[in-house]
Amino acid sequence: MSFQDWLKDDSKIVLFDGGFGSELIKRGLESGKIPDILNVEQPDVISEIHRSYYNAGSDMCQTNTFGSTPLNLSHYNLENRIEEIIDNALENIKNVRPSGGLIVGDIGPTGEFRPPVGNVTSDQWYSSFSTQAKLLEKGVDLWHIETISDLEEMLAAIKAVRDVSKKPLIASITYRMTKRGFFTIMGDSLEKCIEALNNENIDVIGANCTLGSKDMLKLLKASKNFTDKPLSIKPNAGQPVVKSGKTYYEQPVEEFANDIREMIEFGAKIVGGCCGTSPKTIKEIRKIINSL
Amino acid sequence: MSKENFYNDISEAIVNLDEEKAIEYAKKAVREKMKLLEVIEKGFAAGIRKVGELWEEGEFFLPELMRGAQIMQNCLDLIIPYLHDASEKISHGVVVIATIEGDIHSIGKTIVATMLRAYGYDVFDLGADVPVEKIVEEAIEKNADIIGISALLTTTMTGQKKVIELLREKNLANKFKVILGGAPVTNTWVEECSADGFAENAIGAVRLVKSLLDK
Repeated sequence: MSFQDWLKDDSKIVLFDGGFGSELIKRGLESGKIPDILNVEQPDVISEIHRSYYNAGSDMCQTNTFGSTPLNLSHYNLENRIEEIIDNALENIKNVRPSGGLIVGDIGPTGEFRPPVGNVTSDQWYSSFSTQAKLLEKGVDLWHIETISDLEEMLAAIKAVRDVSKKPLIASITYRMTKRGFFTIMGDSLEKCIEALNNENIDVIGANCTLGSKDMLKLLKASKNFTDKPLSIKPNAGQPVVKSGKTYYEQPVEEFANDIREMIEFGAKIVGGCCGTSPKTIKEIRKIINSL
Repeated sequence: MSKENFYNDISEAIVNLDEEKAIEYAKKAVREKMKLLEVIEKGFAAGIRKVGELWEEGEFFLPELMRGAQIMQNCLDLIIPYLHDASEKISHGVVVIATIEGDIHSIGKTIVATMLRAYGYDVFDLGADVPVEKIVEEAIEKNADIIGISALLTTTMTGQKKVIELLREKNLANKFKVILGGAPVTNTWVEECSADGFAENAIGAVRLVKSLLDK
């Protein structure tokens, strides 16, 4: 089955993977390292995390390429190694992808803001995403542009992907909850973002990160008013708590999974988790999906 | 025009993010030899406080917050050279601020630095990925009142604690107040580090710095 078949099948709820960074932290990710370089330095660890998600029941998992744009890699003086990083990322996930499982090309924010917050231009965003998308295209089944906090950056990323690929595309923005509703930190409302995304050549509209499962449920309900496109959600497992220098996410897995159940009932087509969720969370959600 | 009306106009220009008008008012205040400290406090600072409130209420977002602080800074740059009188010294304190070693997330730290400057603090922004030793050295050299350390990653926030440990080793723990920032920072973490406080956003950081220095 292809992703497009899943979208057409009303009874199919697509299970995404969960948090990647938090899994790396559990395995002792060195302070200050960008996870993307581990595709080269510790390929076995990366493959093992992908495998654990596929085994837990994920229909599709994303490549470890969240930060693999020239703009982002340049913060770590790694921009010249982008090809090696992305080729390894594709290899690491291909090696463990089960039959029928899909590979999602992951594209995260560049970490650079436009004026007056930063100095980057839309052209620079486009060019950076374009380099990433060209390198990923050969090994992915579909795309996930995620954790974007500026609608303009999202539109630059969509254009970059669409100029090199016809594969299905999920576009996920990250929102904060304010007294006036859901907004990006740059001030674009949920409604404005979804209406802009309705006009783009994309397949699924999504939201991920920042919000925990309770707030994400509210966001999902609000989103339904603005679009007929399928919706994808990947909430965080509450907020991280640090004790004795170690990070914990304290929201119980069952509580998170129950919120996901409600999101499915309210029409979420693709569900998964972001920071703090783990293969255990995905396993719990798989049980719920199978029981529906 | 009464002074109060003039101050209100300045404040409104800042809230409306109208740089042209704000600059015009700053020049007028200098030209007409007004009490410049009062102009800053009742006009410009009142405006930036309002911008901060609007941001906290979810009416303003990052671009408005940064733009407001930049306009404020540009106006202060015009006025400050004319504050001759020592009694008109504007600095409310010295802050050395940095994102910790291994962490390249600079945006939150930059916003806090910009807001603190807009509120009249002398801010030395050391940038991102700054080693623990460098932060302490700079704090000593700049005779800082406050050290602000940002960490956006749960993997790098341990560096915040190392700064405080190094200060203790050097018997400097009582010389500086240390405040923490960044998404993963919580009260529990502040207690564990024995830091002097943390703030969830830039306006909270200004409030925190003010309360620590007023003590």
